[in-house]
Amino acid sequence: MNETLFVQLLNLACGALLLTAVLVLWRRELAVIIRVFAVQGVALAALVAVLAAREESTELWAVAAGVLVLRAGVLPYLLRRALASAGEARRETRPLVNVAASLLAAAVLTLLAYAVSRPLVELAPSAVTQAIPVGVTVVLIGFFVLVTRRRALSQLVGFLLMDNGITAVGFLTTSGVGLVVELGVSLDVLLAVLVLQVLTARMRETFGDTDLDELRELRD
Amino acid sequence: MTALGIVGGVVQPVLIVAGSPVLVGVMRQVRARLEGRAGAGIGQPWRDLRKLFRKERVAPRGTSEVFRAAPLVLMATTTVVAVVAPFVTTDPAIGPVADLFAVVALLALGAVALALAGLDTGTAFGGMGASREMTILALVEPTLLVAIFALSVRVGSTNLGAIVSSTLHDPARVISPASLLAAVALIVVIVAETGRLPVDNPSTHLELTMVHEAMVLEYAGPDLAVIEWASAMRLFVLLGLLGSLFAPWGIATAAAPIALLVGVVALMVKVGLLGVALAAGEVFLAKLRLFRVPELLAGSFLLALLAVAASFFLA
Amino acid sequence: MNLAAVGLGVAVAVGVLTALAAVVVPAPMRSTVTGAGTALTGAAGVVAGIAAMTGESFTVALPALLPLSGVSMTLDALGGLFVAVTGGVAVAAGIYGISYTRSHGLDARLVQAVFPLFVVAMLLVPAAASVGTFLVCWELMALTSLLLVVAEHRRRPEVASAGRWYAVMTHLGFVTVLVGLLVFVAHAADDSFPALREAGRQLSPGVAGLVFVVTLAGFSSKAGILPLHAWLPRAHPEAPSHVSALMSAAMVNLGVYGMVRVGFDLLGGGARWWWLLVLALGALSAVYGILQAAMSTDLKRLLGQSTTENMGLVLVGVGAAGLFATSGDRVLAGLALAAALLHVIVHAAFKTLLFLAAGSVLHATGTRDLDALGGLRPRMPVTTAAFGLGALAASALPPGTAFVSEWLLLQALIHGLPASGTTGGTAAAIAMPVAVAAVALTAGLAVATFVKAFGVGFLAKPRTAAAENAYESPPSMLAGMGLAGLACVVLAVLPTIVLPGVATAGSVALGAGESAVTGAVTLRLVGVVGSLSPLVLTLALVAALVVAAGAVRVVATRRARRVARRVVRLWDCGAGPLSARMEYTATSFAEPLQRVFDNVVQPETDVDVSHHEESRYLVQAVEYRRRVPDRIERRLYQPVLAAVAAWGRAGRRLATGSVHRYLGYGFYTVCGLLILLAVTR
Repeated sequence: MNETLFVQLLNLACGALLLTAVLVLWRRELAVIIRVFAVQGVALAALVAVLAAREESTELWAVAAGVLVLRAGVLPYLLRRALASAGEARRETRPLVNVAASLLAAAVLTLLAYAVSRPLVELAPSAVTQAIPVGVTVVLIGFFVLVTRRRALSQLVGFLLMDNGITAVGFLTTSGVGLVVELGVSLDVLLAVLVLQVLTARMRETFGDTDLDELRELRD
Repeated sequence: MTALGIVGGVVQPVLIVAGSPVLVGVMRQVRARLEGRAGAGIGQPWRDLRKLFRKERVAPRGTSEVFRAAPLVLMATTTVVAVVAPFVTTDPAIGPVADLFAVVALLALGAVALALAGLDTGTAFGGMGASREMTILALVEPTLLVAIFALSVRVGSTNLGAIVSSTLHDPARVISPASLLAAVALIVVIVAETGRLPVDNPSTHLELTMVHEAMVLEYAGPDLAVIEWASAMRLFVLLGLLGSLFAPWGIATAAAPIALLVGVVALMVKVGLLGVALAAGEVFLAKLRLFRVPELLAGSFLLALLAVAASFFLA
Repeated sequence: MNLAAVGLGVAVAVGVLTALAAVVVPAPMRSTVTGAGTALTGAAGVVAGIAAMTGESFTVALPALLPLSGVSMTLDALGGLFVAVTGGVAVAAGIYGISYTRSHGLDARLVQAVFPLFVVAMLLVPAAASVGTFLVCWELMALTSLLLVVAEHRRRPEVASAGRWYAVMTHLGFVTVLVGLLVFVAHAADDSFPALREAGRQLSPGVAGLVFVVTLAGFSSKAGILPLHAWLPRAHPEAPSHVSALMSAAMVNLGVYGMVRVGFDLLGGGARWWWLLVLALGALSAVYGILQAAMSTDLKRLLGQSTTENMGLVLVGVGAAGLFATSGDRVLAGLALAAALLHVIVHAAFKTLLFLAAGSVLHATGTRDLDALGGLRPRMPVTTAAFGLGALAASALPPGTAFVSEWLLLQALIHGLPASGTTGGTAAAIAMPVAVAAVALTAGLAVATFVKAFGVGFLAKPRTAAAENAYESPPSMLAGMGLAGLACVVLAVLPTIVLPGVATAGSVALGAGESAVTGAVTLRLVGVVGSLSPLVLTLALVAALVVAAGAVRVVATRRARRVARRVVRLWDCGAGPLSARMEYTATSFAEPLQRVFDNVVQPETDVDVSHHEESRYLVQAVEYRRRVPDRIERRLYQPVLAAVAAWGRAGRRLATGSVHRYLGYGFYTVCGLLILLAVTR
């Protein structure tokens, strides 16, 4: 494919990544958050597909397909199942930091990501590496979601956002970290989601609620 | 293996096997006379051995082959040392065994065999004797090896024949400080290893004061004869080593009959003199408490260490 | 066809297949499959090791197998020695394990599968040729051994505690080795051993010294050297006996391997103070280890502490070799290193035999306590003979196995004095006599310890019902012991068959040179005067024994009417038949020694006197209990652990209980770091 098409598609995918991350921060309904996460999975898969088309590597195409299946299919499905068993608590009420402040924080984090990634970009300036700050931003926003949300499910989504961002950065810096590593990381993530799903169900059974801030006994 | 070595290898064991009961007899007679008794005569140990060999062989209940084999092991190790060490001739009969470490280790093997026999009887006395003997052996080893170190530094080898030959060539070395210190340390070690006063009383009848006697308390008849004989040979061998290492004059360096005769006579004289001195010393010494013995051995260790330092710094 | 490569490849393949088979095969056949498979792995390892020791080395590089560093292996003579030793021990332990694991309930899938993997990991460590490979194999070895140590944790609670100690100390050792090697790699082009060798020549003394000391800490902990030895007397008794044999006879050697490889080969020799430190640590460990063993009444703990002692002796040899090498005396350095490596081989043989015999005793009586054993000779004759052979070997007496290596070591130390006096300085001049004294003291104490272990444990009468009901072990256990015993005997009588290989291994570390010891029947030292023939010595002893026995038989039966012996009563002061209670126990046997070394050992004694109900003046029973704690643990470990615990309690204040607070800590730290990064660029 020619250069400009490639750059456009790349920027589109990255923009979708960033937008979905901000949407997760903005919306409060858990079902919407999960759907947005699924869209982000598609965007990530598109990013990898674009890189695969550019490199003409079948390995990358396989990875793109795997990412699509896992992050846009399997993981949102598991999250939806967990949500269904969660019962009435379908909204994120009273996050620790209110929505306006969260969005401001997202802006600050974006700036921070750009500042930090500048040396990395300057190392090898190209269209691909210029998209790295987006990946770092997604990581930081995911971490922020993990820290400031009360519901276990939202925290899970934050964790998965972090992983998406790390994967994106990985592919943008080296265009592929190797099938083995990607496989390993994906398995880790899958395992984490399964475990957290079970934990959420247990928490709801035991405490009737999955508000993690109520859990203050987690110490000696 | 030279002709001298072969001759020595035949003469030495015969001499030692025949002469060790005589040595014990002489020592007992000297002690008796100094203590004002008439004494039993020099030939009494031979008469005792003959009596014991005629007695019936017994096996105490519950003992095993270890008990039955220990006297033979003791005799065998002492015999090998008698064959190998340079007492009458400087050339060893079996060259590759005449190393000072090997000789020391063989003597220790004999002591270990007796200790295991003591434990095998299952009596408290046997265990006590074994325990004390092993403690003394453990504490004697450092002194022994460091003294050997001191002796071998000048010579550049631990081969017994080499040490004796080099002392023959350079007699003035015997009175060097290193040599004298090593000699004193070795005397204390020999007293401890052969179980003489002040470490152990060989003629005691009180079980609680026994070290060597307690281990052999259950032996009777021919077994006891072998043990007594082997212990006498050990004494002869150790005194002979002391003599050969520090006063090697008279040892045959050639296979001539005259030289051999001189060697045999010299050995008998040296061992006899040392034995008399030891017996006389025993008359004037009391037995040390068992837990004072380590202090004595520590003192001898210090002397041996000083011997090494002297041989290095005063080289 | 490179035999070393084939052997090692077959060993790895068979080991992995055995592990898989152990998972799949049904329970009745599992022990047999695992045992046989492990024995085959070991045999292939022996072939590979011996081939490497004869000079046939091979190199292989697999960059794709591990991310970041790839796998790179080189088997040279030095590594080959350790591979051969490990393989040999694995053969005996594997065959032994066939019956042992069946009857001890150790044939769970996990335990059986991990056993061949442990052997494979130990075979791969000496073959590693890059830091990444080395560390991966080292960690694999640590993990598999940990799983094996805690195999019986359900049946006995002490096993869990021992496992914890082992896990923590082995991983701390791993961390120190990691740090040391990474500092080294930072100064080199990449992490392969040839690159490190190049860099080692140009390292500044400070950095080289740091690398050496840090890796020494980790490797000496693995070898059970003071002061990081505390895991050894805990983990080795609690592990299953064939695993204890592997750990004591094969795994601790790899600590020595690491030291020799890093110190001699990669860092190129280094400064004199390094080797004085190694010598001092070795001498201290040897004396302390055997002193603890002399006081110990637990059979397997005694054997574990004896391992500390023997590794201390090996380190004395390695330290002396380094000292001589830095003074330029290649001949003596070769002799000392040959003594150390020969002692590694010899120790593996007799320690395997001893641990397998101890396992046999444990299997038959259910106890390891020497004070409860005794009288095993008529009930377990083969085990008694095996333990006796091992005890003779361990006490360094002729015709035992360790006599030759100890002789070589003493020769190296003794001939080292004039040399070090001229070029070496007074530190070395003081070190040699002290080292000789330490070696001598350990020899004497080792004799006492093993007389105690053998005499109290196996001879005389049984002290408890457990010992009375002992029975001989099943055939595969006897076969394992027999193999180890055969190795002991061969090494005792003909150590010259392994000496050329030992010399080749030594020349890898010290640089090319001729063998320090030559000869077929007689060991002759090259360059210094000294010779010894263990074969002739043994033959002389046997001949003298035969002559003595024959002479006594002839003389004694000339007058006696019967040849057979009459059974008589033991001397019991006329008070009646002796009971087993009157025998000396292991505690009482060691009591004089304990009194002599009171200041060092500082035992804790408890005397409990119980009186009759009628009168306070009549004593009914007196109970004496003595405990010998490890003084280094008291003085060194407990303050460190207390400080760590205090630190942990202080850190508890950070844990408020809120999950969000914890997550927040992470987030703030990450953001703070990123800001710092952005600002300082």
